[in-house]
Amino acid sequence: MSAIFTQLNSIGWRDIIDILVVSYILFRLYVLFRGTYVFRVIAGIGFLWVFQRLAAYLGLIVTSWAMQGIIAFAAIIIIIVFRNEIKNVLQAKDVGAIFWGVSHKAFLTPEEIITSSVYALARKKIGALMVLPAKDDFQEVIQGGIPWQGILSKEMILSVFWPDNPAHDGAAIISGKRIGEVGAILPLSRRSDLPSSYGTRHRAALGLSEKTDALVIIVSEETGRVMIAKHGEITEIRDNLALQKSLREHGGRTADDQGARREENLKLGFAAFILIICVTGIWFSFSRGLETLASLEVPIEYQNRDPGMELLGSSLNAVKVHLSGAGPLMRSITTDQVKVRISLGKAAVGLNTFTLTQDNISLPPGVTLKKVEPQVVDVTLDIPIKKELPVQIDWIGKLADHLILESATLEPDIVSVIGGSRVLEKINTIYTEKISLDSINKTGRLSVNLALNPASLKVVEASNGKVVIVFTVKKREAGDE
Amino acid sequence: MIRLLKPHEIVAGCLLCLILTAVSLEAPAQENNGNQKHLAITQAVMCEEIKEYEPHNQAAVFSIAAGKVYCFTSFNPVPRDMFVYHSWYRRDRLITTRRLSLKTPEWSVFSTIQLRQADKGPWRVEVKDHNGGVIKIIKFSITD
Repeated sequence: MSAIFTQLNSIGWRDIIDILVVSYILFRLYVLFRGTYVFRVIAGIGFLWVFQRLAAYLGLIVTSWAMQGIIAFAAIIIIIVFRNEIKNVLQAKDVGAIFWGVSHKAFLTPEEIITSSVYALARKKIGALMVLPAKDDFQEVIQGGIPWQGILSKEMILSVFWPDNPAHDGAAIISGKRIGEVGAILPLSRRSDLPSSYGTRHRAALGLSEKTDALVIIVSEETGRVMIAKHGEITEIRDNLALQKSLREHGGRTADDQGARREENLKLGFAAFILIICVTGIWFSFSRGLETLASLEVPIEYQNRDPGMELLGSSLNAVKVHLSGAGPLMRSITTDQVKVRISLGKAAVGLNTFTLTQDNISLPPGVTLKKVEPQVVDVTLDIPIKKELPVQIDWIGKLADHLILESATLEPDIVSVIGGSRVLEKINTIYTEKISLDSINKTGRLSVNLALNPASLKVVEASNGKVVIVFTVKKREAGDE
Repeated sequence: MIRLLKPHEIVAGCLLCLILTAVSLEAPAQENNGNQKHLAITQAVMCEEIKEYEPHNQAAVFSIAAGKVYCFTSFNPVPRDMFVYHSWYRRDRLITTRRLSLKTPEWSVFSTIQLRQADKGPWRVEVKDHNGGVIKIIKFSITD
């Protein structure tokens, strides 16, 4: 238990954002695709992925490999087979609906479905009789009902009362979100004070309402008028809002009661909660799984250097960074993701010693620093100055024994060099690159480069830091050799 | 025809004579001082050997095989008996300094070093007067 709390305490703000972002993406996919076949297939792929990870963990190489193949194949299948469904989800809604907002259109309450169906029937003058039971058991007073158990929908109701349907003459018993029975025969009222315009449907509705507390909706085939019968009374309903109100009152709900919506919101909230739990679990398995150690050679980056100063050198160009983290993270980590930075903002001219700490090292989320080697870095800064220095030739090799290199002059023999003041104060001569004597056998000229050491030195003059050597060679006198 | 000079013309003439006399006396004095104060170098060379008080086989590059290298310098005039210095540098690092005596009125001196394998590279000899002021720099190289 304490280990769990320790793990939870180690979660940083980046980790929380990480979990929330992934959870929200999955939640949006759920909201957009719920109720569709795509969602079921995605859920199936998710299950396959978990299975594949489990197989990999258990070392079932072939199973894991097969699962990977199936997942990859299934992902392509989803896009091809369900392209229209995906297109509908992404195109039918505005951009905002993809990223936020929840559509409740597809989740009408039974009252809304019934009302909509009743007025659709009324407009087409299709007679209908619908019974909405309350507390009383009415199975003994009705006869001949055909079990239906169909989920309530407008299309379903319209098809039940469609004139060519054999069961259209009877009553449909609607319990909750289902049509329980169709073609039910209701007991007829024996009252004699009913208007002559009332037909058998009205008498049947009234008959049941006299014997039970059920509410019966009547749609007149002749007039298309909608009426409800309850407690032995028939009332004409003028509009859909009135019918909805009556239905809600019959179901024991007030007009403001948004039970279905609340239920729907509860479902969404539960789904969001489950997703957060799942993503947190996956995150822990990724980032707080078995700890793996890794070492990287990371180059040091210097920043905030005073433009008036020059970085002459440092004791180190790179440091070894020892890191730890979850296996998958450590396997994918590269040198580019780890930065070692030293701020030279407060550095002075001369030798500066910096001790590397956690603040100098930036790591990707989920990776922790174990050690830096070495911890101390010496950095030398200097102010650039210009100095005129004589040039000298750096001959190497061997001149032929019978020859003497009598003289050698340079053009120019003095050059202006820019470099750090501390470096230049120790330099009194600039040497040429090494010039071999082996191939020299007569007087001539050579264009040579200057050997600038350290390389930070720069020659001011043009001609790309080249100088010309004019040399004179003569033969030794006989006897000198 | 003969006009007597006025007193102020006589005074001006006397002053002019005095100034001219002073100038004519000052010029030789300055020449003498220059001869006595300034040491002048007439020759400064590197050579393989000294023969009959003269540098032999002057060069800018010397082989280790030669064994020795000489720095020969001549001075004229030498205003008084004094010392000069030959400071030998290898790649800006002072290797040795030789103190050499000069005699009036003119004099030649040389210094030498024994060559070893580790001596290969660019060298220079700085010829300095008794105050340490550099009179001349001679550059050369020691090679295979």
